[in-house]
Amino acid sequence: MTTANASDARNAILAIQQGFENSGYIASEAIATAVFLAQALSKPILVEGPPGVGKTELAAATSALLGKPLIRLQCYEGLDEAKALYEWKYGKQLLYTQVLKEKLGDLMQGAEGLKQSLARLHEFDDTFFSEEFLEPRPLLKALWAKDGAVLLIDEIDKADEEFEAFLLELLQDFQISIPELGTIKAVTTPVVFLTSNNTRELGDALKRRCLHLYIPFPDNRLEQRIIASRVPTMGAELREQLVGFVQSLRGMDIKKAPAVSETIDWARTLLLMHATELEPALVRATLNVLLKFQSDIELVDLEVPSMVRRAGGS
Amino acid sequence: MTQVLANFIQVLRAASIRVSTAESIDAATALRVVGWDHRDQLRETLSQVLAKTPEDKRAFHDCFDRFFIFETPLAGVPAADPQTPEAGEGSAQGPAAEAGAGGSGVGGGGLAELLDNPDPSALQQAMASAARAVQLQNIRLFTQRGIYIRRLLEEMGIEDFDRALLAAARQTPGAPDIARRREQKDRLLEDVTALVDRQMLLYTANARTALREEVLQKTPLTRIEMSDFKTMQLLVRKLAKRLVALHSRRRRVAKRGQLDLRRTLRRNTGFDGLLFNTVWKQTKVDRPKIIAVCDVSGSVAQVSRFLLLFLYSMSEVLPKVRSFAFSTQLGEVTEWFQQKTAEEALALTMKTWGMGSTDYGGSLAELERLTEADLDHRTTVIVLGDARANYGDPGDRVLRRIHEKVRRVLWLNPEPRSFWNMGDSAMQKLAAGCDRVEPCRTLLQLERIINEIARGAG
Repeated sequence: MTTANASDARNAILAIQQGFENSGYIASEAIATAVFLAQALSKPILVEGPPGVGKTELAAATSALLGKPLIRLQCYEGLDEAKALYEWKYGKQLLYTQVLKEKLGDLMQGAEGLKQSLARLHEFDDTFFSEEFLEPRPLLKALWAKDGAVLLIDEIDKADEEFEAFLLELLQDFQISIPELGTIKAVTTPVVFLTSNNTRELGDALKRRCLHLYIPFPDNRLEQRIIASRVPTMGAELREQLVGFVQSLRGMDIKKAPAVSETIDWARTLLLMHATELEPALVRATLNVLLKFQSDIELVDLEVPSMVRRAGGS
Repeated sequence: MTQVLANFIQVLRAASIRVSTAESIDAATALRVVGWDHRDQLRETLSQVLAKTPEDKRAFHDCFDRFFIFETPLAGVPAADPQTPEAGEGSAQGPAAEAGAGGSGVGGGGLAELLDNPDPSALQQAMASAARAVQLQNIRLFTQRGIYIRRLLEEMGIEDFDRALLAAARQTPGAPDIARRREQKDRLLEDVTALVDRQMLLYTANARTALREEVLQKTPLTRIEMSDFKTMQLLVRKLAKRLVALHSRRRRVAKRGQLDLRRTLRRNTGFDGLLFNTVWKQTKVDRPKIIAVCDVSGSVAQVSRFLLLFLYSMSEVLPKVRSFAFSTQLGEVTEWFQQKTAEEALALTMKTWGMGSTDYGGSLAELERLTEADLDHRTTVIVLGDARANYGDPGDRVLRRIHEKVRRVLWLNPEPRSFWNMGDSAMQKLAAGCDRVEPCRTLLQLERIINEIARGAG
């Protein structure tokens, strides 16, 4: 019954995965499925996972893949509608009233009494509250984009709960209500990503409206592919050792496990130092690229020789 | 297919993953797009639509693997269709039955043919649809096992099979075919039993734990068995997490009468600087500083360990907790709880401070000395103890002095109210230095008290 349909879906997902890979973003099948579903069901994706696994990067890669502009909204405590959605261009409104003062005087000429003047004014009523004077902020820009857009609402957990509630209308129907103008609906449904670092629990209402994608640390094979794509000049042998070392670091009891971005940084560092294989002394000297807490560095420092041996270095 | 999805969602709910109706509809829509053909793809799709926290995801993958063992979605086979010939019903009269009877020495309806079929997936399919026909997903109790196994076998056509077997045995006893049929039947019985057991586990996964947790919450903490400690700790964490979610948002209270000029101007730029909307200054409601003092002698120790476990599980909303343990002497244990696991910290606390008889007077005096700098109007002092001072100095004067300096003093007593003030209990004297004295016998009471503390209510 759905066989033809389903194989289409399969191909589409594989195509997305391939497309990401071509642009240098190595995605797991879960990620490709999420991007496919988001488009097929017109649903936003809520991306969670430890910091540095490429949550924000995913939105950028999607924007490159679909050839649509990326519109980014960084969330923080105290973010409100005026900064996220729209604001009136007060200065412009004032300036225009000043400039048009005389014009208004002309228009009012011949009008008898206050009532008639008002009636005339009403003929031009919305001049100063029209789209001309509207300063669109990221959310409105995404709705107005004619050919669609990729909207990234970054670190939604940092925003207040009121803002989260305010987003619900946008996430469900891709529309937003502006008191002076009425409801604005998306011209083309944008692809929406929300990212969260889990500093607080998000509301159920928000989660219900989203697809939920959890990006964990990549496994050994995936991480090797990522390094191969990002740092192509690195030799296969060193890459294997490097990823093996980082993977075993993540298994240790440390405050902050190194993320993918840190693995990439470390790979570049090692290349700069012309390393051909992992050596304890070299690892010790560059450990601060991977680990960001002194206590972690001290803890790992002792174990470096045995870990390097296990990862296949000398 | 919808039925399979509905059953699966039921399984997820049994594993305490919260799936709303809207999400079920989303899942159905998503499956219409993605299809059932590709297992990984199916799993990813459903997990993204149905499981929305990392913990839920883990539980989801577990459920998925167990649920889709037998309901293997195969392309092109309409498994939910009750008209499938493999389902066994009425097929004994069908041409398939005759072919089966003709082919092998002993007939036995569609089931016999099915058992002869070298492709095991056909049998699996038949079992699956029979399971659906007898509504196996409604199984709840261990005692229903036998009934469901029987019904399932009947649904698959075991009666015809048996009759044919019996007739054949009467006609030509000892034929090799009969032995083969008997063996087939035994194997089928094993398969069906395994299926029913699996389903029972699947649909009742959490029912037992849920009941157990409910009972444990109401059991007096002093009477909890050693074997339940693991469950209790998980339970404490779960309750603590709920409280954290409840209190993680910092409340703000507007100070009436103090204008926040900066914000007011900003909000009114739209009105050309005329102040239409006023914004008042706000203060954040402070999180309380907590000093927890725990009697760790004898039976009170049990309750102490849960109080401390609770307080430290909530470090996100109660960032400033200092804890002290005492029996004969008093000492600070804060660092242990911050750095070690709960078990290690508790063991160490008991070993270091848990010996000997309780000296309330000396311990409270020592507490005052150690915490002098921290005793201010934001501090809440929680004392956990049975107030049995062994007829010595109960330390009520020291406690009153502390009470004058801090926001409030709470005394939690693990003994039932009727025991207070009997024998060597000095509860009445000590109560004079407390804002409130509460019995604290069960986890439920403990949760309520900590909830009030975290809310910052006096």
